[in-house]
Amino acid sequence: MSNDTDMEKIIEVTFHGRGGQTAITASQLLAQLAYEKGFIDAIAIPIIGAERRGAPIQAFTKISRNKPIKTYDSVVNPDYIMVFDTSLLENPRVKESIKEGVTLLINSAKPIDLSLFPKNIKLYLVDATGICINRGFMHSSGPILNIPMLGAFGKTTGYYDLKVMEKVLKKEFGENRLEKNMNVAKDAYESVMEA
Amino acid sequence: MVEATNDFVQEKETIVIKGNISAAYAAKSARVQVISAYPITPQTTVVEKLSEFVDNGLMPGTQYIKVESEHSVMASVITASMAGTRTFTATAGQGLFYMFEMLHWASGSRLPIVTTIASRGAAPPWNIWADFTDVMSCRDTGWMTAFCATHQEIYDEVLMSYKISEDYEVLLPKFVAYGGFILSHTSKPVIIEDQDLVDSFLPPLPDEKGWPHLWIDPERPLMFGNLIMPSGFYYEFRMKIHDAMIRAKEKIKSVAKDFEKTFGRNYGNGLIQEYKMEGADVGMVIYGDLALQMEQAVDDLREEGYKVGMVKLRYFRPFPVEDIIKIAKKVPLLGVVDRATAFGSPTGGPVSSEVKTALHEVEGTARILPMINGLGGREVTLEQQKNQLKILIKLNETGELPKDMLYGTYWDGLLEVK
Repeated sequence: MSNDTDMEKIIEVTFHGRGGQTAITASQLLAQLAYEKGFIDAIAIPIIGAERRGAPIQAFTKISRNKPIKTYDSVVNPDYIMVFDTSLLENPRVKESIKEGVTLLINSAKPIDLSLFPKNIKLYLVDATGICINRGFMHSSGPILNIPMLGAFGKTTGYYDLKVMEKVLKKEFGENRLEKNMNVAKDAYESVMEA
Repeated sequence: MVEATNDFVQEKETIVIKGNISAAYAAKSARVQVISAYPITPQTTVVEKLSEFVDNGLMPGTQYIKVESEHSVMASVITASMAGTRTFTATAGQGLFYMFEMLHWASGSRLPIVTTIASRGAAPPWNIWADFTDVMSCRDTGWMTAFCATHQEIYDEVLMSYKISEDYEVLLPKFVAYGGFILSHTSKPVIIEDQDLVDSFLPPLPDEKGWPHLWIDPERPLMFGNLIMPSGFYYEFRMKIHDAMIRAKEKIKSVAKDFEKTFGRNYGNGLIQEYKMEGADVGMVIYGDLALQMEQAVDDLREEGYKVGMVKLRYFRPFPVEDIIKIAKKVPLLGVVDRATAFGSPTGGPVSSEVKTALHEVEGTARILPMINGLGGREVTLEQQKNQLKILIKLNETGELPKDMLYGTYWDGLLEVK
């Protein structure tokens, strides 16, 4: 559950993924989810360059319960980090972003060696790729990881639940795709584990 | 006048959207009748969203014209506007430069065209990130130019723009500019207003007679924009454009007041917006997205006990000379931050040069420290902006100037050249 008790604090999240793994959309959906849940402000900040499928990409989301967010700058000291691809854990930019005290949510079917990280890291694992393959939740070049990752994030943080996800996903992607979206969200919500 | 019909349906709602989508919703809310478009990063999703609206029947009657270049975009918007319609387009950077020739045709014909600019750096090297040099380069085209600091302000400013531009005393085209990617591609909650309320705020759409100074009638063909001898009224037309631009200041102020009354959101006096300038020792003049982040920097330093304030500049054209003078009488030192270049100008920055000009020969006004930052989208952090304010405090207290000055201007955030 959420480890921040300061209601004034702006909660900052960093997303690390590869082009095509839908991390940018995840950052936007998180802003929507938080706003729907009653946070008064939220901003999704994708870092846009000349990304291609497979290239490392980064996005940030800031959410705030009762204070307007006035910054547009990158997140340097995130409260949470979502890693969509374990191969990115070797990436210097990703390594550098993982600082003492952060909560990590990693898409992985296998255990992760905690000694890789600085002290005081909270680590959660969810097999988002496995969930997508199992449910056939794929796009042209791979699994659509954002929905299960956000399902797991909702569970680990307590910021929003599946009901809020249902509302936002219906609004964003329509009634037709709702069941598919909710299936993977639910699978991840129920299976995410603290390592 | 044309009666507004109820087929443009919009109930007030708050949605988390990108700045570009906010611009598209504003054009829809304003019931624009003709859109012409050519895609260019980072503007593309504005006209993409509008094409979706039109295609899905959400903008019945609106003509969407796809063309092969930005030059043709402006040509088609100009002719549509001449025929007496409310028009919209969006562009950025190189696209705006390609459009440049037609910009004068729009202002010279006194057409109330509104164009959003998701500002980006001028190439080379190729650059698609926030830098207002694109829109600043259109300084002398006779287009009004406003900046937005928030996603909401994009929506709001487009609505205000039609009311200002279409005023018979003004009749000038207008740019609404915001930082590429920083606003265009980030998402935030935006209030989309009730259609009836927007209809009551905006002037009615032009009727078949069109704008008051132009009468296009196939039964009575006339030529427009043809050659005029030096002894003709060319000179006088130019003077009238300047006159309209200066008189637009009062209109901008009254529209901002109307806007606040109708929708409840305040944008200062329309031309500028002061923030914590009361009791300030030093102040910062800043525009665009960085103005919002500077508010946070001011908040943080105020909490630390520093008496700092800022002024969000909302307009570059017309330039709010009188307001700048007033501000410059409140404090002994003003920083002016540009995210744009004016090569070879007095300061290198378009707005800081303008501020210095405004204060020239006005006694008892602030010393100016011009600053440049964030060119080509170079990130400007909150910490950096707090440091800019501290530079002002230091200069004010000790007379010490920062390092990295180039011909009297502080270029912040440069890479070290080894």
